[in-house]
Amino acid sequence: MRALAAEVSKLASLPAAWIAAAAGVLVPGVVAAITASSTRGAIARGAATVAGADTGYQELAFGVVGAIILGVVAISSEHFTESAESGGGRQITTSLTAVPSRLRFLLAKVAAVAITGAVLAIIASGTTMGVIHVVLGEHTPAMGADDVPRLAGVVCYWVCTALLASGITVLTRHGVVPLAVLIANTSVVSVTYLLTKITPLANYLPDMAGVRMFIRKLPGSTAEMSPLTGGLVMTAWVAVLLVVAAISFTRRDA
Amino acid sequence: MEVITIDDLVKRRGSRTILSGISFQARPGRVTGLLGPNGAGKSSTLRVLLGLDRATSGTALIGSVPFVKLRNPLATVGAVLDGSGAHRARTGRAHLRWVARSAGLPRARVDEVLEIVGLTNAASKRVGGYSLGMGRRLGLAAALLGDPEILVLDEPVNGLDPDGIRWIRTLLRERAASGRTVLLSSHLMEELAATVDDVVVVNEGTVVADGTLDEVTGSHRTLEDAFFALTTGAP
Repeated sequence: MRALAAEVSKLASLPAAWIAAAAGVLVPGVVAAITASSTRGAIARGAATVAGADTGYQELAFGVVGAIILGVVAISSEHFTESAESGGGRQITTSLTAVPSRLRFLLAKVAAVAITGAVLAIIASGTTMGVIHVVLGEHTPAMGADDVPRLAGVVCYWVCTALLASGITVLTRHGVVPLAVLIANTSVVSVTYLLTKITPLANYLPDMAGVRMFIRKLPGSTAEMSPLTGGLVMTAWVAVLLVVAAISFTRRDA
Repeated sequence: MEVITIDDLVKRRGSRTILSGISFQARPGRVTGLLGPNGAGKSSTLRVLLGLDRATSGTALIGSVPFVKLRNPLATVGAVLDGSGAHRARTGRAHLRWVARSAGLPRARVDEVLEIVGLTNAASKRVGGYSLGMGRRLGLAAALLGDPEILVLDEPVNGLDPDGIRWIRTLLRERAASGRTVLLSSHLMEELAATVDDVVVVNEGTVVADGTLDEVTGSHRTLEDAFFALTTGAP
């Protein structure tokens, strides 16, 4: 528990983690404001009658960039090397002299990322749905019992994505590549989505499977998958990656 | 009181041999200096001792256990390796707080060690804005948090001004005088000669001399002369 307290304390005092939090709340919130106001315009013109079933959830799928940044910087900040003039040190040496067991250190790190990712997802969900409610007013899709598992799915997706980002960064030790690849895949053109056009197997890639937990209508979907299956597939990816990361981390010189 | 026992450490990286059978002890109540040119294997030895690098063979023990098996690492060993060991975006105080938290130490202890190393006024500044000497002091503050039995310091006087060198020398002498173990590495012989009781000279991954300062200096005029005689064969 002390190791976990130390990891939470590290994240709370790391400016990059606050950038992650800001991105996680602002990105889906702002996108929601834009899409909701265009939906409201369409309803006013009579071009649409109701907002889509994925209103808010689509935005939260983008907002996962916050979880990606969080997962990456939690690890990359450990390996960041000071300039030679400052002595060329790295935080990981301090971390491992304070918590010498590599496995315990990594578990504490992963737990801190998971908890922070979950809290961030809950705040982002509340903000995003709130923004939509404000913009759409009476046209806001009614929240029902169905939304409880869907919102839980959002939290699960964010936590899993943050852990994937952390696991990859444990292997690369450097934040730039995982950050660039994962963010690009989320926001610009989803490579994994394009892959589903080539092979239906790509539907089982972690992000494509994971979004099934809360997105109902995937455009041009090439496979059917229940939210539960989607969640299990993503969790399996995370579990495998974290095991590989742990093996590598415990065997390598720090 | 804990003894550090390094026994026949071998470390290979690819085809390169970094350590080829290093053995020595660092005893309580004494300052032991690991002396050698850059690349001799001093840092590697300390990294293996701290569980950061894995030895190909051999053991490094704190008392009777390897560092990674210590129940209370911060109260047993305080270590300063390269630089400050802190992330540049954090403040000095925030860095010490998470280290303290990892060992369940009270927040008040953070202010105490900041005072000891003379960083109280810079505690709210980000580490990225610290000078090399300030970073070294921060590293030492983290090492002192748990008031450990053992201090392990890699090139502790690097980056310190003359005042800082005198200060750290006094601090290390005091630790040893109170019966604790101090192990430090250095390539600066004159600094080392004024601080240490025991000297272990390493060169190209092996121990070439091991004994008290007087024993190792032997018939040579200074430790520096002895060092060059031992490492280069110069008279």
